[in-house]
Amino acid sequence: MTITDLTSMGESQTELKKEINERLQRLQDEISDYCYQCAKCTSGCEAHKLLELEPHKIVALLKKGLIDEMVNSDVIWTCMSCFKCRERCPQNVAPVEVLFALKNIAVASGQQIPGNYTAMLQSVLSMGLLQEVKNVLTRDNKTVSRTNLGLPEVSKPTDHTKFQMMLSKIAVEKV
Amino acid sequence: MKKYAVYPGCVMPTEQYAYEMSIREIMPHLDIELVDLKGFSCCSEPIKSVNQMLTLALSARNIAIAEKEELDIFAPCPMCHLALSDCKRVLDTNLMMNKRVNSYLTDEGLKYTGTAEIVSILDLLHDIVGIDKIKEKVKKPLKDLKTATHYGCHLIRPSEIGRSDDAENPQKMENILKTIGAKPEYYPEKLDCCGALLTANLPESALTKTGQKLQRVQEQEFDAFIDTCPWCHRQYDSKQIKAGETVAAKLEVPVLYLTQLLGISMGIPKEKLGLNLNLSPIEKLNLGGKKT
Ligand code: SF4
Ligand code: SF4
Repeated sequence: MTITDLTSMGESQTELKKEINERLQRLQDEISDYCYQCAKCTSGCEAHKLLELEPHKIVALLKKGLIDEMVNSDVIWTCMSCFKCRERCPQNVAPVEVLFALKNIAVASGQQIPGNYTAMLQSVLSMGLLQEVKNVLTRDNKTVSRTNLGLPEVSKPTDHTKFQMMLSKIAVEKV
Repeated sequence: MKKYAVYPGCVMPTEQYAYEMSIREIMPHLDIELVDLKGFSCCSEPIKSVNQMLTLALSARNIAIAEKEELDIFAPCPMCHLALSDCKRVLDTNLMMNKRVNSYLTDEGLKYTGTAEIVSILDLLHDIVGIDKIKEKVKKPLKDLKTATHYGCHLIRPSEIGRSDDAENPQKMENILKTIGAKPEYYPEKLDCCGALLTANLPESALTKTGQKLQRVQEQEFDAFIDTCPWCHRQYDSKQIKAGETVAAKLEVPVLYLTQLLGISMGIPKEKLGLNLNLSPIEKLNLGGKKT
């Protein structure tokens, strides 16, 4: 199986997209009405000053139903998942969760996945972990491995065929 | 001796070896037995932006592996700990989701049952081992080391899921540090994020976040910056020089894992704690009396 199976809009992915859309719809129905645009989320947002993310505006756009506009925008990929907006919102609205749903939709609609996400996903598919086991440098510039350091072998999926079968189910399941 | 399956995740066992070494070294001294299990995978929290269902399913899968052995889980990485805790909360309260996620696990002969407890590094050290026990084990108190703590966002938020310390005023690292003789002090940037999760798509911005915080720490003349997360530590220690470049500062802040400092205070030799792997200028601290 490939990344495409897990992310983009193959025939079987219509359902995945539908499901994420329903999730967003629920967020829209259930939470965006509670938001009174106090912008407390934005005042503490870690990505606000540096990258101009405004979580209160994300919620406002969701309320207006301007989902495609957000899905097509790079700004949803500036959130660093610090969860401050979710923690501090007086109304229990969680902009960070809206952002996760929007990014999931962007991916399921076959939009280009930014940066390294594709490589990380590929690595999880092929060996179960985000990245290969690395050798590292010591303070005196020697290269050492886990074994050199006396650490045991890394735990990873033992039956790859079955592991990948599981992942493919998630990608294509009909809800 | 209390027993836990250690769930290593990805970043710690593929590159942040100092964390793993110091954990494996100190835990037996604190009467905690760590059990290694085969078959774990990524918890998928770092790629939740791509597919949230994947995060739920892979987290459940990892919990199920420990449940099969009837073990509770110790997840040293706060990001993994969040993923597993969130998964547990969802599957324990939402029967439909529980059924669905379990249907993914059958091929591998696994089942999420909800029996395993999931503990973080702070749960384990502060609440389960406890301050009294740590106090007993201190052989070489750290004399007045002025420390800045960095908890990592995922360890303390969102509190709705049940996190390891107060979301706005966490104190457990401070309590541990005081117990081993260090002098933790408040600083206004304490809760600032390291930016690590932007590494995937906006690496420069990630480093800027790191650099901005460390620069403030340096200005406030802390002796050391103490963390508990392999993602944060990679930013503050492994990438410190680069982070400094993004804010045009020469950063020279010694950065250590809490578990490394704890090990030093317990008199464990520094090689065993992976101190040779910290790339920040820890020689400034003169830890353990000799030059590091
Ligand atoms: S999401 Fe919450 S914090 Fe943000 S503007 Fe709305 S009510 Fe205020
Ligand atoms: S989780 Fe994202 S949107 Fe929310 S405060 Fe943090 S960076 Fe901003």
